[in-house]
Amino acid sequence: MPRRFDQNRPFATLGIIVAAWLILPVGFKALVRASFFELTAPVAQAASYVRDLQEYWSLRLHTESELIEAGRDLARVNASYALSVQQVADLQTEISRLESALRLPPRPHYREEAARVVQRDFSGWWQRLVIRKGSSSGITVGCPVVFTGGVVGRVSEVHTFSSVVEMISSPDVRLAAVIEGDTRPVAYQGGDNPTFGPAKGSIEFVPLDIFAHADSPRSLVTSGLGGQFPPGLKIGDVVRVAPSADGLFKTGEVRLDLRLAELDEVTVLVPEAQP
Amino acid sequence: MAAGGENLGDRSGRLVESHSGSNPRILAFYFLIAAGLLALTAGLAYEQLIRSNAYRESERLQTQRRILVPGPRGNIYDRNGRLLVGNRPRFAVVLYLDELQDDFRRESIRIRNNYRATGDRDTPSGSQLDQIAHSSLAQRYLDQVNAILGRSEKIDVRELQRHFAHQLYMPFTLVDGLSTAEFARLLEQLPVSSPLQLYTANERYYPYGSAAAHVLGYVGTEDNVEAEDFPGEDLKTFPMPGTIGRDGLEKHYDTELQGQPGGSIFRVDPAGYKVNPPLEQRMPVQGHSLTTSIDIDLELAAEQAIGDQTGAAAAIDIRTGEVMVLASRPDYDLNAFYPHLTRATVADIEKRGAWLNLAIAGFYPPGSTFKTIVTIAGLRHGTLSPSDTSVECDGYVRVGNRNFSCDNGLGHHGSLDLREAIAQSCDIYFYEHGLRIGPQAIADEARRFRLDQPTGIDLPGEPRHMIIPDPAWKKRVRHEGWTDGDTANMAIGQGDVQVTPLQMACYAASLARDETVTQPTLLHDPDRPDCHSEPIGLTPSQRAVLLDGMEGCTTHGTAKILALPDLAIPGVRIAGKTGTAQYGEHLNVAWFICFAPLDKPEIAVAVAIRSDRPGENYAGGIYGAQVANAVLKAYFAKKGRPAENISPR
Repeated sequence: MPRRFDQNRPFATLGIIVAAWLILPVGFKALVRASFFELTAPVAQAASYVRDLQEYWSLRLHTESELIEAGRDLARVNASYALSVQQVADLQTEISRLESALRLPPRPHYREEAARVVQRDFSGWWQRLVIRKGSSSGITVGCPVVFTGGVVGRVSEVHTFSSVVEMISSPDVRLAAVIEGDTRPVAYQGGDNPTFGPAKGSIEFVPLDIFAHADSPRSLVTSGLGGQFPPGLKIGDVVRVAPSADGLFKTGEVRLDLRLAELDEVTVLVPEAQP
Repeated sequence: MAAGGENLGDRSGRLVESHSGSNPRILAFYFLIAAGLLALTAGLAYEQLIRSNAYRESERLQTQRRILVPGPRGNIYDRNGRLLVGNRPRFAVVLYLDELQDDFRRESIRIRNNYRATGDRDTPSGSQLDQIAHSSLAQRYLDQVNAILGRSEKIDVRELQRHFAHQLYMPFTLVDGLSTAEFARLLEQLPVSSPLQLYTANERYYPYGSAAAHVLGYVGTEDNVEAEDFPGEDLKTFPMPGTIGRDGLEKHYDTELQGQPGGSIFRVDPAGYKVNPPLEQRMPVQGHSLTTSIDIDLELAAEQAIGDQTGAAAAIDIRTGEVMVLASRPDYDLNAFYPHLTRATVADIEKRGAWLNLAIAGFYPPGSTFKTIVTIAGLRHGTLSPSDTSVECDGYVRVGNRNFSCDNGLGHHGSLDLREAIAQSCDIYFYEHGLRIGPQAIADEARRFRLDQPTGIDLPGEPRHMIIPDPAWKKRVRHEGWTDGDTANMAIGQGDVQVTPLQMACYAASLARDETVTQPTLLHDPDRPDCHSEPIGLTPSQRAVLLDGMEGCTTHGTAKILALPDLAIPGVRIAGKTGTAQYGEHLNVAWFICFAPLDKPEIAVAVAIRSDRPGENYAGGIYGAQVANAVLKAYFAKKGRPAENISPR
């Protein structure tokens, strides 16, 4: 008998652990999950730092002439960015003047918080990023996350030094968007995207007079009406619309930016109180 | 070695023997295994081959859901293609109660524990606890919505319980009629997998508000949307509410306007969420659109001219019978009916008496407009001669033992012929000639024009209360004999005669064509053939006298106001007849019927404006004629212009 019990001991132990987990209070389980993430986050972050270091040393291996050339290119890009920043500032001044003239209500202000991407977690069920900034940087759940190509997603979990970003390719993300040049809001939602493949989403409530085709796509941007995302951020390109079942609207398909799958750095827009 | 080898051989032989298949215990074991395998195989075959259809069907019922979507109703356009009734989306936020079963149970336990913890002895019963849990949890979800929208909505507990009892699988509406901005906020801030979801329905939209409200009608909610040829009747089905016409064209042409329902069959995951794409999908098809004969410009002109008065106007295309105006005031804003009619709106409509379509259900004595029928009857029967000047109007005539006055005692027309009698609307002339013609001939003439029966217009609920009395009618209904006084009254369109504005418009159209019947319709057909019916039967000279009299009415007679520079329509001769009829307790109705142009008639108009308070005096030559003039002006102003697509004002 003792010998037989020894043989079954692993199963018995597993059974006891499962039973214990089932009867544990929900709060305790949540604490364990959060603690686990906080414990594993440094490992992932360390790996991320190591990758950055590895990249740095690989760059150091370039020849001096290559570095000079790269430096010149960088200076050129920086100059163009500086010009763009100046243009944006001018436009912002003009917008502020017009808003003031029209007595429009003030729009929410955002602080930009740049963050490195620690981990990418893509599956058919969710599309997430883990970034290297958390509540210590003032990030809260729901903060919009953007990159140069437009919207990345929004923060869904916040830990002390890291956050989880639900990407716009995820089916759990829904935004109030507008077709560029139109003011009527449409509903954007991420789709069932394959792990390795071009990301796409869908739109609903598209007015019947909107047309789009893969050869002549329409740009989809945030509306600013939803209260979370500022207006005008690019979401993707509408490549197909078709009448919806209710006959009142159209539905459509949105092609997302391919760079979403290889992001290294993103910007979190942290809402700020009005000055 | 040999011995040893032999021993070894024996032992190995025994070993082989001991594991041979001939061991009965092993054989029994094999048999048991074989039997078990056979049983399993048989069971597998039974489940896979015989029961598989049942399992597949069971799986289908468990994992598939069917949604039925009513087809949008067809639009209604005016004769120039302008949208009078369309569809627009209506947004609501709804709660899917059937997804909250576990939450409700937990909430119920929590509430019960709270009662126990506080030592309250009056712990509610199980069903009461459930009801409290339902309300509490639903309110919690509504509070989420309130927080996003900045509202402070409360759950309608009775409605919630009713929904639980009868429509558990349908979404429960928390907030209806969301603005676009509210819709966008909820869209972005509500979790995708929440039991709170946004819901879109379509509702009727009336770009011109109250214009032609009684004609267009309105729709109500229809819960039983059926899609006979759509598969999956046995699946759990969620029919979206549809609509049904309740009044006006929406009701009369409900079958044509109704869309063809569509729907989808979705596979759902164990959590109950849809898994795209749909297994079966059919688009709802919008119902047929209607093009009415109403001209919204003319309709608005008529309604504006009637203004705050109580009355109705009808204008008819003389050639085809198409109704271009069917105005009735007071009216109501059709957009106030959606998403639902409030009690306050109903009370307001009732208080103003606005439900009634006076154009088809406003029964009034026609007054002096009826004199044209008396004239036709007299001319056809030879008792009236166009040049007869035998009647001398000195303001009064005695009929029986009663004095009948002319124009309420104001008329002193002296000697006049038929033309002037019509133009000046001399009562004495028609008392005298009415008595000569006789009540039966007058009644028969009115019946030839079908003034004793509904017009048959394509609207629901046209009443049958019109009266063209004669001696037999009075005996049957009043059980009294006919008197000369009755004939005198009838000769000037008073007494028991009752007609509607639409009937008089049809009569005017018929008179213009020199025929007896005009069948009105509210459908526009550019290829509609001309109306034709029995001719009136007047000689050309008799007809000329009648029309001269009617033109005289608008140039120097009782409707001479139309000749004033502000009202005159250059180049258009109008044949008209005024009427000011008394009805009820010291109330009166201002009538005016006309058609134009006199030489080649195109449009016939009838107007009735009534007083609402005793003592108010409405004269047909002023009040009725001005409304008709507004319609005619609008008609001739746009005549010759191409049809335009003008956006609603």
